[in-house]
Amino acid sequence: MRKILFLILLSIGLLSCKREDKTQRQKPLVVATTSILADGIRNMLGDKADVRALMPAGVDPHLYKASVRDLDLLQEADMVVYHGLFLEGKMTEIFEKLAYSQNLINAAENLPEELLLRSGPEAHSVDPHIWFDLKIWSIALSNTSKALAAWKPEWKQEIEQNTAQYLNELKTLDQEIQFKVDQLKSSNQALITAHDAFAYFGKSYQLEVKGLQGLSTLSEPGLRDLTGLIQFIVDRNIHAVFAEQTISPKAIEAVVAGCANQNHQIVMAGPLFTDSLDAPDTPAGTYIGMVRSNLQTIYKNLNP
Amino acid sequence: MMTFDQNAFLIIFTASLIAISCGLLGVFMMLRKMSMTGDAISHAVLPGIVIGFFISGSQRGLEVIIGAGILGIFATLVIDWLRQKARVQLDASIGITFTLLFAIGIILINLLAYKVDLDQECVLYGEIAYLPIDLWISDSGFNYGPRITYLAVLNVALVGGFITLLFKELTLTSFDENFSTVMGLPSKTVNLALMSMVSYTTVSSFEAVGAILVVALLVVPPSTAFLWTKKLMPLIKLTCGLGIFIALSGYYLAYLVDSSIAGMMVAVSGVLFLASVLIKGKRPKFTFELPRSKNGLSLEDKQL
Repeated sequence: MRKILFLILLSIGLLSCKREDKTQRQKPLVVATTSILADGIRNMLGDKADVRALMPAGVDPHLYKASVRDLDLLQEADMVVYHGLFLEGKMTEIFEKLAYSQNLINAAENLPEELLLRSGPEAHSVDPHIWFDLKIWSIALSNTSKALAAWKPEWKQEIEQNTAQYLNELKTLDQEIQFKVDQLKSSNQALITAHDAFAYFGKSYQLEVKGLQGLSTLSEPGLRDLTGLIQFIVDRNIHAVFAEQTISPKAIEAVVAGCANQNHQIVMAGPLFTDSLDAPDTPAGTYIGMVRSNLQTIYKNLNP
Repeated sequence: MMTFDQNAFLIIFTASLIAISCGLLGVFMMLRKMSMTGDAISHAVLPGIVIGFFISGSQRGLEVIIGAGILGIFATLVIDWLRQKARVQLDASIGITFTLLFAIGIILINLLAYKVDLDQECVLYGEIAYLPIDLWISDSGFNYGPRITYLAVLNVALVGGFITLLFKELTLTSFDENFSTVMGLPSKTVNLALMSMVSYTTVSSFEAVGAILVVALLVVPPSTAFLWTKKLMPLIKLTCGLGIFIALSGYYLAYLVDSSIAGMMVAVSGVLFLASVLIKGKRPKFTFELPRSKNGLSLEDKQL
């Protein structure tokens, strides 16, 4: 019996190998967990480093499944940046332990408490979708940029310059959003989406936001939620509801049908990008492009 | 250049251990026609997760895992109780139990944790690819190595010890519950012990490698081995051997095409089963060979 065990161990040991194809990297490799985070870092580092996203565009971070090479990517990386706030689910714990062997930045660390939206028992759980509030996202990126500069002091000047420029663009965009949202508010509109990802957006720009589904993918809209929402849409004369890129539009279609029954025609618009960017080289393939595309979709459909 | 790959070794070794634990229990579950209990547990743990979340206040406490484990045992108890008291078919009692518990979990999420991202996927299920970086770090900062591997070793030792100790009782009760009761064996206690073991093993393995792989390892290797032999000891050995082969080949196929490791291991085990069916060329004999035993095994085959 012992011999068999030993043989099994030995054979697994001997068979555990991989082809070593170490192509020498020209630039340091920086790995970020989401495509949204990777885009911000790419803008701050310029062409200094090779920045890659662990979760490809179009993937819901809650449903992401790792492949073998994702592990290699994480271990080869010279720097790993993760979002935090439990966006990566159970992987968050693993990232915290990665600090043991890796250079690691938690982008959402040290955010001002009063800006975060909390819920659950003792308000323990933070809504992770902070990138919908450009003010919070700017703080997170600026913190990340400081950590990156501390990691590579020789790049400090360039990182600071890039970051300042990028944050400036975000500030302009922030004002543009506020300007358009104010117009929507004056016509008494609200943003209704498939799941509750736009809470920060609503809080920051003071737009009423309703999600049909909670944050967990398992929560489903109840019957009363549905009728209440339909009544809300009819009463407020809202023009459109919005589907989301990573969520099935079934529930939202039910809202559209319910409104039609009450002789109130609304449009199902979208999809809005929520948890990931669009494919690279498309208009919504960058963070700024994504925010702008969402804004246009919302503005166009709610302000006819 | 081929080099020793520590990650590959850890993943294959741990997956083999889990395959052996699941296979050992799976053989007895199959003989009792309770193979799908693992799948039932994967759904039934949801209320335990929600309650654990409310006790610990976060999605990542040990309480969540313990809550899941308790609900797993509870589910197996209810399954057994329904079968005996309500005299429904075993598969029906499994179906009734886990759908009911899963539904309770969904209702609890909708009522209490609507704004929290809470489901098995992000709270309980682990990702086998990240096993090498999921380290066990002591309070003093000492790195003991991958946490999941320790859990798997402990699990396989407990399951192995359990089956060695209760081999006679398990065998007899699996073949003929009434007969063993007549013989004075505490078949209810044995049943309960086996169910608790299955529940512990599945929840502990869910945390390591995710649900689908655990469910598959409980069902498929024993069924495949059953096509080749009808004797108990060879059945157990072949099941363990198949488990190790699935871990090994699944990993390398996943590496080859850069896909999910757990997914590939499940696919390999499915293909092995189908190939066995084709090679054996006839319908697997499950019930009609010998009227006396419900599994097509004769009493003489049991090595008591």
